[in-house]
Amino acid sequence: MHKWFEQTENRRPNVVNSRIRLVRNWDQYRFPKTLAPMESEELVKRLEFGLRNLKELDGRDYEYAYLEELDELSRRTLRERRILNSSILEKKETVGLIVSRDESVSIVLNGDDHIRMQFLSSSLSLGELWRMADQTDDYVNARFSYAFDEKYGYLTSFPTNTGTGLRASVTLHLPTLSMGKKFQSLIGDMSRFGVSLRGVYGEGSENYGALYEVVNQKTLGSTEQEIIDLVNQAAGQLNSQEQQVREKALKNHRLEREDEAYKSYGVLKYARRLSGKDAMIFLSQMMAGADDNILRFREPCSIYRLMLGIQTANLQKLSHKPLSKEELDVARAAYIRKELPELV
Amino acid sequence: MLCEKCKIREANIKYTEVINGVKNEHNLCSQCAKEMDFGHYSAIFDGEFPLGKILSTLLGVEGSSHKEDKLQQIVCPVCKTSYQEFVENSRFGCPDCYSVFDLLIGDKMKKLQGSSAHTGKKPKFQKIAAIPKTVGGSQAEPELSRDEKLEVLKARLQEAVLKEEYEMAAQYRDQIKGLNREEEQDA
Repeated sequence: MHKWFEQTENRRPNVVNSRIRLVRNWDQYRFPKTLAPMESEELVKRLEFGLRNLKELDGRDYEYAYLEELDELSRRTLRERRILNSSILEKKETVGLIVSRDESVSIVLNGDDHIRMQFLSSSLSLGELWRMADQTDDYVNARFSYAFDEKYGYLTSFPTNTGTGLRASVTLHLPTLSMGKKFQSLIGDMSRFGVSLRGVYGEGSENYGALYEVVNQKTLGSTEQEIIDLVNQAAGQLNSQEQQVREKALKNHRLEREDEAYKSYGVLKYARRLSGKDAMIFLSQMMAGADDNILRFREPCSIYRLMLGIQTANLQKLSHKPLSKEELDVARAAYIRKELPELV
Repeated sequence: MLCEKCKIREANIKYTEVINGVKNEHNLCSQCAKEMDFGHYSAIFDGEFPLGKILSTLLGVEGSSHKEDKLQQIVCPVCKTSYQEFVENSRFGCPDCYSVFDLLIGDKMKKLQGSSAHTGKKPKFQKIAAIPKTVGGSQAEPELSRDEKLEVLKARLQEAVLKEEYEMAAQYRDQIKGLNREEEQDA
């Protein structure tokens, strides 16, 4: 069973993933923050019980778990793969998890809100993800009536989610655009249109890997479709700008671009030690080379999967023990060597 | 540059005050800045997550009148969250907080969200609200009763017809028929 981030079909150059997150609350309970531990447990059990046959909705296999059953490392890997967010990671009360085998659909119960549904895909497909989210939302709603207000819409713990409770985002790989002088002002411009652009692995020049997430800022006052169209448009714009500068670079500096792509492949394929920063930089260069058809792999290869794979918690999980910084660098290089296919 | 107050830590906050047209600049570290009184901007230096606090200054008090002071005391009867707490944490305690604080938050929501009126999706199955909570045992069953199932099926049927998904609609119709038949038999 492939995870969603291992998919290599229908990939568009520079598009890493699309994501829909929907937040809902059951009208029978107060928000998680003010629930007593007993109530938290009761809430999670009732929600989980009501959703135990989620498979009948979409035919996917789901795994059910409580956060407290998972060890520290498993939680951190889930954080790295964005199934959990950092505020949930620290929670002492009962938190329920429902995750599809391929991890494309996940539901967190009693996190910041009662129900947080997330839908992920490796292509540019917000529309399709929204259809799934909409369906799942109705399925949940048929079992648990929602805290809803005619004026404010879906009621949520944080006023920043009130209304639709919807965050739609697209993660893009923007290695060339983000190097340009105008990139900072571009980030400012985006916010005037109601979307923010943020570095996935850090801010500004520290964002190694050049992955950027385009996400809607506001949740109240627009329809779901308007939000999705907005994010889609912004992502499309950015991607076509990136493509333009890349094509130009390829035309004027072909040799340099080829050299960079092959060098990064060479280092990744044969290095014995790789720091997180170096690995991300080379993977980013290799991703650009592959998207520009400079590099062709013998088998399909999801480079984003490698980016997720080399994160600290995942490497520690793979080796079943905590690793020192030195050991991590060795494990990281070994992981990439093993996973990277030969070139054609 | 070192903090001008403690002269130990690196200064990372530049505080400019203008009093009667005289401009004074101070370079402080965050610890010392926290101890100084910057009015309601002080909130920025509390805690480790300044972003949330910036939000709360946006939501919160600016030159509150006497009337508003009184409103600050409002407490949600359901979850006991006070308006003050809501402002400090930028977080509601329960769905009822929205209606309790409605008068106070209207403008602020608008500032934060650019709108204060929901125009998106509405829940389809709100009528089947109260699933009874079992007494005693923690494992309550959100198993739907027959009437609830009927409600849901009818709503789904309607939806399917609207979306012109006739195959699904037929399935729902048959399920509704089945349930009705069961009821007759039971009676």
